[in-house]
Amino acid sequence: MKEKLNKLTENLDYTLLFAVVILCFYGILVLYSSTRIESMGGETYFYVKRQFLWMISGLLFLTIIIFIDYHKLERYSQVIYFGVLVLLVVVIIFGRSTYGARRWLAIGPFDFQPSEFAKIALIIFLADFLSKNKPKLDNFFYFLLPFAYTGLLILLVFKQPDLGTSLVYLAILIIMLFAVGVKIKYLILTFFVALSSIPLLWVFLKEYQKKRLILFFNPNLDPLGGGYNVIQSKIAIGSGGFLGNGLFSGLQSQLNFLPAQHTDFIFSVVGEELGFAGAILLLGLYAIILWRGIKIALEARDLLGTLLATGAVAFLFFHIVVNIGMAMGMLPATGLPLPFLSYGGSFMISNLLTIGILLNVELNKIKW
Amino acid sequence: MKESSSVPEDVKQRINWLLIFIVICFSILIISLWYLQMIKGEELRKRAVENCIRSLVENAPRGNIYDRYGEMLVTNRPAVMVSIIPAEVGDLEELSKRLSEIIGLSKEVIEQKVKKYTDNPFRPVKILDDCKKEKIIEIEERKDELKGVVLEVQPRRNYLYHELAAHSLGYVGEIDKEELQRLGNPKFQGGDIIGKTGLEKYYDDILRGEKGGKEVEVDALGREITLLLYQKPVPGKDLILTIDKDLQLYGENLFYGKKGSIIVSNPYTGEILALVNRPSFNPNLFTSGISYPDWERLSSDPEYPLTNRSVQGVYAPGSIFKVVTAIAALEEGVTDTKRKVYCSGTFELADQVFTCWKESGHGSLSIVDGIAHSCNIYFYTMGKELGIEGFSKYMHKFGLGEKVGIDLPAEALGTIPSSEWKQKEYKQIWFPGDNINLSIGQGFLLLTPLQIHSIICAITTEGKIYRLHLVKEIISPDGSVVKEIKPEVYRKVDISINTFQTVKEGLRATILKGTGWRANIKELSIAGKTGTAQNPQGETHAWFIGFAPYENPEVCITIFIENGGEGGETAAPIARAMLEKYFNIQK
Repeated sequence: MKEKLNKLTENLDYTLLFAVVILCFYGILVLYSSTRIESMGGETYFYVKRQFLWMISGLLFLTIIIFIDYHKLERYSQVIYFGVLVLLVVVIIFGRSTYGARRWLAIGPFDFQPSEFAKIALIIFLADFLSKNKPKLDNFFYFLLPFAYTGLLILLVFKQPDLGTSLVYLAILIIMLFAVGVKIKYLILTFFVALSSIPLLWVFLKEYQKKRLILFFNPNLDPLGGGYNVIQSKIAIGSGGFLGNGLFSGLQSQLNFLPAQHTDFIFSVVGEELGFAGAILLLGLYAIILWRGIKIALEARDLLGTLLATGAVAFLFFHIVVNIGMAMGMLPATGLPLPFLSYGGSFMISNLLTIGILLNVELNKIKW
Repeated sequence: MKESSSVPEDVKQRINWLLIFIVICFSILIISLWYLQMIKGEELRKRAVENCIRSLVENAPRGNIYDRYGEMLVTNRPAVMVSIIPAEVGDLEELSKRLSEIIGLSKEVIEQKVKKYTDNPFRPVKILDDCKKEKIIEIEERKDELKGVVLEVQPRRNYLYHELAAHSLGYVGEIDKEELQRLGNPKFQGGDIIGKTGLEKYYDDILRGEKGGKEVEVDALGREITLLLYQKPVPGKDLILTIDKDLQLYGENLFYGKKGSIIVSNPYTGEILALVNRPSFNPNLFTSGISYPDWERLSSDPEYPLTNRSVQGVYAPGSIFKVVTAIAALEEGVTDTKRKVYCSGTFELADQVFTCWKESGHGSLSIVDGIAHSCNIYFYTMGKELGIEGFSKYMHKFGLGEKVGIDLPAEALGTIPSSEWKQKEYKQIWFPGDNINLSIGQGFLLLTPLQIHSIICAITTEGKIYRLHLVKEIISPDGSVVKEIKPEVYRKVDISINTFQTVKEGLRATILKGTGWRANIKELSIAGKTGTAQNPQGETHAWFIGFAPYENPEVCITIFIENGGEGGETAAPIARAMLEKYFNIQK
């Protein structure tokens, strides 16, 4: 045991861990700034306290995960997948409804979002499936199989409705398929098929989702409604200049001009209060994590490990780019949170779980 | 100890591609950040501030205008404006529908107005100006279902007597782009009300006062968080006019259906007691922004109701001008009290024949009789001997062609002919015949009624023209006098007393036995001159100038009736009526 512990401490990717810890505290600070005014009933630390709790819980899970060799998960990948599937069905039926969406299940005093854990489950499942069946993937129809598995999750989540998360599943799938070495032309084909089916899918989109897409192209069509967020966000970010207005001093953030500034638009707070410098720092921290993640994927012991790491990277990467892109008006609003910064328990835990996965793969690149 | 990895090479290659893709995406993000924060940073910073700092202007109340006896002529009344604050609207379509039912504007128009607002969704958008009382009450009652609608009270200029003295008072309106540029931006903003014509314009900076305002920091809900600055507005000052409202009204009624002007003033102070211009218009039409049909109607009216004839209309003076000819002739020694000229009814000059209005001729006349009977021949004779140089000298002495100095904007200067002028305008030399025409106030000469009036004022005081003005006093709203406009000698007319007195004799004779007999009343000794001016527009213009009482003059009067016929017939009786009113002569 002691030997194992030593091996652990020697081989841990400290760069990665360090970056994550700094990021967590960076996140707490920014979250505090963005919520100290709006907090319920005047309790300024309301959100920050909770976020901190989630962070600790997540770190706990992370530590546990590190100790389990990922190969042991192989057996359970299918169980995990179906378990999550069931939870997603349960959410649709019994979930707590907020803003017209059923996304949360209440367990005791806590709310958690199954769709978040479904992301982890999907990574594990796909990593297992693809690593075992790599040669078979040259067959086009077999290639479609993972789409089916993923599609099921997408469908269930779409019903909540949650367009953003569905896209995350898709992104994870595509990136992992790409990584495992599937033929490029298959991917391109699927891409075009998807593109041509958009008009069809348009019918199934809810009103507000359609509106979001239209407003993406021209937020000024509804500057007080849906377009408001993006316009305000750009103003906030831009007004930060190089050094920002200072923590706790952003005009837009402190005076309530940024809607959802503790969740979807938390990057706008970063931009406004910490400026270009602060934003670059944030991106730098993310870059370190993603770089280490890629490195871990390349140096993993086997394909399973590589795919697990790739999936984790895909998860984080997609959230980062889509959230920041949306805050700057470059992508349509999808409601994807920003890793380690956005307020949200399930999300914070799943973020830390992905880090756990990365560390796990890293540690186990040598056979003990 | 590291074992060789069992990860296939092609997978490693793919993952490297993935890394490159990540790098590209991050680069794009960084570049966009740079663009937003460094390149557009300044501009967006401004917008961020605009979002939360609100400047609220508090307008100063505009000063009132009173007549000389303290009767209020112009004031401000509260007008209610219906506006919508875009940020507070829930369902615009529903709101527009409900609002349109109440105020009568179509719901599409309302929606359009709201959608077109400027960047600031917290600033009220004007929907309907000057809302009627019943509609205001209804909006107030249904406040709950009209979320986003606000009623703002704004002062509106109110001309209590509508058309009375409209040209003198002028009207106000929203500042336009040209004025904004000219008058300077820090003091004025778009949407400000300024005087456009008349006294409203001339005394605008006194009437307007100074804007106040406050700067507040607001939150996203428009709630005022901190008061950053407050400046109290300074109310505009009031004007006390020289005008006598009753006399003015009387004059306007006398001129009902006529076109022209009446000027009554005190020659020893320059105070104008009545300044009538007809046809007139109602300045209240302009207060909330004149409607297009009203504007069309006024501006295309062939009788030009918007023109201030007294100050801006130029006309041929006709026989009125004979007083100037007489003065010039007496001063230059061309004639004297004794010289007689024979009027046969015709006058020959080279190969032209000029006639007198009395075909059979007046016979032998002295200057006093010449004036009294307005004999053309007498004055042709004077004109021939004076020559244009002579005329120019005396026209110049009276200040003709220069501003009269009244406190109104845009005075017309008339057309004062001279040989240089004719050379420039017509490329011709001055003909002897031109002197003949000029001597009886015809030909190229054009003057405003105000310029004519200044001539009679000069004669009455025998050489001093006191500056004609409309405003007597400027007072602050609490009643204290800010400025008293004292009588001021504007011009000294350098002509001998004897000459003036001879001409005055002629003017008295005109009333007693001459062309102005219709103005002869026993209660008052009036002196004056009639005039009938030919003009290319048709019927002759009717003129009358005069003063009363003859021995100790108190007032001067000028009557001008456009296309009014004969001076003696139409203008003189009106002069009489005005003077009777002024001197309170009951009939």
